[in-house]
Amino acid sequence: MTIAPQPAAAPLTPRKGAETVDPVYRQIRDLVYKVSGIYKAEEKLYLLADGCGRRMKQLNARTPREYWDVLTAQPGRDGELRHLLNEITIGETSLFRSQPQLDALRKVILPEIVAEKTKQITKRLRIWSAGCSTGEESYTLAMNMLEESERLLKGWTVEILATDLNDRSVEAAKAGIYGDYALRNTTDYFKRKYFTTIDEKKLQVRPEVKKLINFSRLNLQDDSKMLFMKGMDLIFCCNVLIYFDGASKSKVINHFFTNLNFGGYFFLGTSESLMKLNEQFHLVHFPGTIAYWKPSLSSGKL
Amino acid sequence: MNTSFTSTIRQRVEGIETMPAIPAVFLPLLKMLGDSAEEVNVDEVVRLVSYDNTIAAQCLRVASSPLFGLAQLPRSIKGAVMSLGVRRVETILLTCCLGQAFPAEKWALDPEVFWRHSLGCAMVCRKFSEKLIAVDAEKAYMAGLLHDLGFMVNCLVFPKEFAATMERACQQGIPLHEAELATMGFTHCETGQALAEKWKLGDDVVEVIGHHHAVEQCQKAQPLVALVHLSDLLCRMRGLGYGYYERHKVDLISDPAWAILLKEHRELEGMDLVRFTFELDEAVEDIHALVSTVFGSAPATA
Repeated sequence: MTIAPQPAAAPLTPRKGAETVDPVYRQIRDLVYKVSGIYKAEEKLYLLADGCGRRMKQLNARTPREYWDVLTAQPGRDGELRHLLNEITIGETSLFRSQPQLDALRKVILPEIVAEKTKQITKRLRIWSAGCSTGEESYTLAMNMLEESERLLKGWTVEILATDLNDRSVEAAKAGIYGDYALRNTTDYFKRKYFTTIDEKKLQVRPEVKKLINFSRLNLQDDSKMLFMKGMDLIFCCNVLIYFDGASKSKVINHFFTNLNFGGYFFLGTSESLMKLNEQFHLVHFPGTIAYWKPSLSSGKL
Repeated sequence: MNTSFTSTIRQRVEGIETMPAIPAVFLPLLKMLGDSAEEVNVDEVVRLVSYDNTIAAQCLRVASSPLFGLAQLPRSIKGAVMSLGVRRVETILLTCCLGQAFPAEKWALDPEVFWRHSLGCAMVCRKFSEKLIAVDAEKAYMAGLLHDLGFMVNCLVFPKEFAATMERACQQGIPLHEAELATMGFTHCETGQALAEKWKLGDDVVEVIGHHHAVEQCQKAQPLVALVHLSDLLCRMRGLGYGYYERHKVDLISDPAWAILLKEHRELEGMDLVRFTFELDEAVEDIHALVSTVFGSAPATA
């Protein structure tokens, strides 16, 4: 049975960009995920395609298929994949990069940690930004903690440790000077409250924010140093482990588990997965974001 | 819940004969959905879909959504049935019928938000069951679509009480069923179950509607109820909730429902839940598009 022609039956709008993308990019997406844990969603495949396009130009690869051959000829992180990972994560550095992470932190996690620690004599919160790059994440965390200093964290001491392998990044982080691009997600409220103007295009983080953070150089693969990073309540390590091979990644994650207090949380980048590298952490969902939890002693989930 | 509550709910639900016009094909369709796939006659499905021109046109549009897998708009109902299969077309018809049955009005729970959650949960149930061995994906879809039927009952039959519930849930950021218990003394599980029984929905779906917040308590179809419970939680954590921030963390793997499902499906152990979450995000935009087409306030044939 065929019904009369349906003037109304126009197809739904296809997903932007998804239909026109060369299927090779889905293969590349899966390879990137398998090796690094970074997942580029279907609607963001065009971003992956852009990244690949820039690499293809460099390498004189004419088609995505040719580029795929280059990628798979040297599948390690020292090969082409490392360059590609740089390309696809480069735009992700900004202050206030992930609002859902910050919401989870302030609306769910902090109240929980504060309640857990309420019986302790020293009210101290320790946060570690591991692989802090040029400091965007560390300052974002510091500002959000300052926002809570008259409420949830009244009477608490907040310490933020921010480390990176690269000396130049650490120096830039200490300076705390940012342009429009890094500040594109920062609201006027935060700009006015926590920054001073350097010139038309640049703002600098105020000293009272800097005071919360201790910047230093650290290699996450240096086992002896990692052992000293104790007593953390929160660890953020965004888009850093993607460059590590499976064994190194697993070792670093085990360190993080030890470095965290019971009841502490570990955050990765927003499109990054730990995959199955550690069975001790509990994968937990908050609205719009995921984290890894080291169960508290009182939760009965250890 | 005490018996006087139960009888009040039943009486009130019995009274909803005068619900906004239910399409004529709705009840025969529900009966057919209860039959096994082998018993269903293709021509019978085609006849049901074609019965109402508006619904038929809508079914064709829905079938061409990225969520349902036909790249092109099918030319005829029969064509759609042949390429998608009887069961999938039944679920498409059910989706459209529900859209018709309950037009957007002023509800305590915004109908678009409600449908996004229901359709989202249906999609997640289907995707989830595709990861498992020997689960009827279309049945899972139907269970997901109908699991929160009780909210519709609450909006229609207990509008004042339910408005107070919504307010409490939004203010405190607590799950809706907890707010229902605190405010009304019963939940959408009871009211939904009463309507499902009145409509003579299959036993399994009645179980899902009645027990998706207390999986351990259900007598039949426990794995299906567990699957819906987990999909519901995941939707609420990935932007397909009830339109407010739920202040809690969700640990799916430690949830009793996970253990129940795992008992039947050992293959669950190998599932990459993070990647599954990212893949779900890809469908969110399509779900929004579909909901505004099928359930939106704009006339469906415009």
